[in-house]
Amino acid sequence: MGQTDFSSHKALLIEDMAEARIMQKKMLTDFGFQSVDIAMKAETAIDLLKTQSFDLILSDYNLGNGKDGQQLLEEVRHSELIPNTATYLMVTAETSIEMVMGAIEFQPDGYITKPFSQALLQRRLSKLLEMKAKLKQVNLALDEKDFAKAIEEAYLVMEAHPSLEGKCLRTIGECYLEMQEYAQAKAIFSNVLKNRKMPWAVFGEARACFYLNQLEQSESKFRQLMIDNRFFVSAYDWLAKIKIAQQDHVAAQAILVEAIERSPKNLLRQMELGKLSSTIEDYETSELAFRRAVSLAKHSCYNNAEIYLKHLSTFVKLSEQNPLSSRQKETFQSTLKKIHQLFFDDPAVRAQTYSYETDIYLNIEDTNNAKNTLALWVRDVESGIALAPTNQQNKQYKLALEN
Amino acid sequence: MKKMDISTILASAIHESKNQVGTLLYQLQGVKETLPKNNLNEAKITVIEESLKKLNDEWVEYLYLYRLASNGYELHVDTFLLDEFLDDQVFALLTSANAKKLELSYHCDSQLTGTFDERLMTAVVGTAVYNALRFARSKIQIHATKEENFLVISIEDDGQGFNTAQEEDSPESNTGLGLYFAQLSANAHVCHDEEGYIEKQESTVLGGAKLAIYLPQ
Repeated sequence: MGQTDFSSHKALLIEDMAEARIMQKKMLTDFGFQSVDIAMKAETAIDLLKTQSFDLILSDYNLGNGKDGQQLLEEVRHSELIPNTATYLMVTAETSIEMVMGAIEFQPDGYITKPFSQALLQRRLSKLLEMKAKLKQVNLALDEKDFAKAIEEAYLVMEAHPSLEGKCLRTIGECYLEMQEYAQAKAIFSNVLKNRKMPWAVFGEARACFYLNQLEQSESKFRQLMIDNRFFVSAYDWLAKIKIAQQDHVAAQAILVEAIERSPKNLLRQMELGKLSSTIEDYETSELAFRRAVSLAKHSCYNNAEIYLKHLSTFVKLSEQNPLSSRQKETFQSTLKKIHQLFFDDPAVRAQTYSYETDIYLNIEDTNNAKNTLALWVRDVESGIALAPTNQQNKQYKLALEN
Repeated sequence: MKKMDISTILASAIHESKNQVGTLLYQLQGVKETLPKNNLNEAKITVIEESLKKLNDEWVEYLYLYRLASNGYELHVDTFLLDEFLDDQVFALLTSANAKKLELSYHCDSQLTGTFDERLMTAVVGTAVYNALRFARSKIQIHATKEENFLVISIEDDGQGFNTAQEEDSPESNTGLGLYFAQLSANAHVCHDEEGYIEKQESTVLGGAKLAIYLPQ
């Protein structure tokens, strides 16, 4: 096997243990990578990935107290922080490999089990990059969201390299799902399943059924996936979607609560639970879910104002029912402060925040603070840094403050 | 005191030990880099390294064995080109074979593909080859073929064969445990209601022992 030329490649190494980090950095440098950047934890890696592009990400599964390597992978793939053309190699221990293999939805391009020698890593990397090179046109089309092209390219790759058939069929099925051609997608996945019960194909078929509104069929497939794969928590999210589609919001909430018990660090799932709990007017659960989302947001790709605003809005609802406890007030103030720090340059966010604040003061009959907040709002509107209250809001405030 | 499940405790103890072996291997790698090429201790260091690697692989085997036996192993199959899979296995085990002055090679059709759990089969092939290292006279071969609905991976040597030298295959012996592991691993592969299995045979190519692993496709 010829030596692969790594000199045009930039690598990002993510590893929390100093000893392994030094060793792996040396290995990558020896292979001749153009550059090797280092992150000691997932949060730092995200910051680096936001500002730079890498061809290879070598990440350990265990990354100390923060996010683990799988959560990092899911987040950066989901938010498209790394292109499909980049290679993600996960370093695992015997105990963590199950979590990685069981994730189904977002899998690394390859994995390597500790301990490994320099020669083995080099070999693994060469093979992976070779495989990615074969799939390059497919991945370029995926990055451009040209799914029809990706399907076409995948069929070509499959013909030239029969061993990549599984990967290609999976991509083809996923592309049909993206193009909302659900019957086509279902046909692809079902056909794979005739030969072998591959979890990714069951997952694809189950989603196609969901979009085709074959909800019961979809549910039974997701339940099957959950039984076969203990670590596939995403199946819960889909079951919750099915329950929502069937108008059974209470069942959906119970499913999400269970999923969160298994995997509490998933921000998007906390957001889902918060929104769902709001619709069934369970504002306590909603507040808790958004509170957790806020605390997860800081070092996440999904750090946006909506999370914080949703959290504030739950306090409006809570204060309609009962006076806020001092603990709740504190939490409210803490999230309020974060919005001020992070998102107050946005006039719409600023206006929305003022409106929630005013609503809460009115609900708890703190007229003074309500008036002060409104005054600040009016001042900011005049300086052009906040949107003005709507007519309806003005009417409502006037009415409330006159009493 | 509450009665504890001893096999679970042993499994986690093995896991701890395995991690320590991993750390030792890393440190040894560091030591190797500080030494000049062709120094007098090179052979000794290779022996230590090979022994640690084998120890690591054995711990892995025992961990999988524990999970297979307690139904805690989730099978994850994928489709592989056998040429690549076996090339990987030979690459990982070649130094151990060479250290014993044995030849190790693989033979299969370059287009042959198969669907199986890669980690499990890596451990099974490793176990079988380590075992063959003890009995082979000069060479060990790994073969892969397709027989009807089964992928057959076999490990063959030119030793005395199963019926004589390796008679000691009760589960207590090293060979017996390895065979048991191979059997559970094969059984875990199920496809269209057919279950995988192993067979102990005589090698028609090399005249010694042949362990054939049948995996349903």
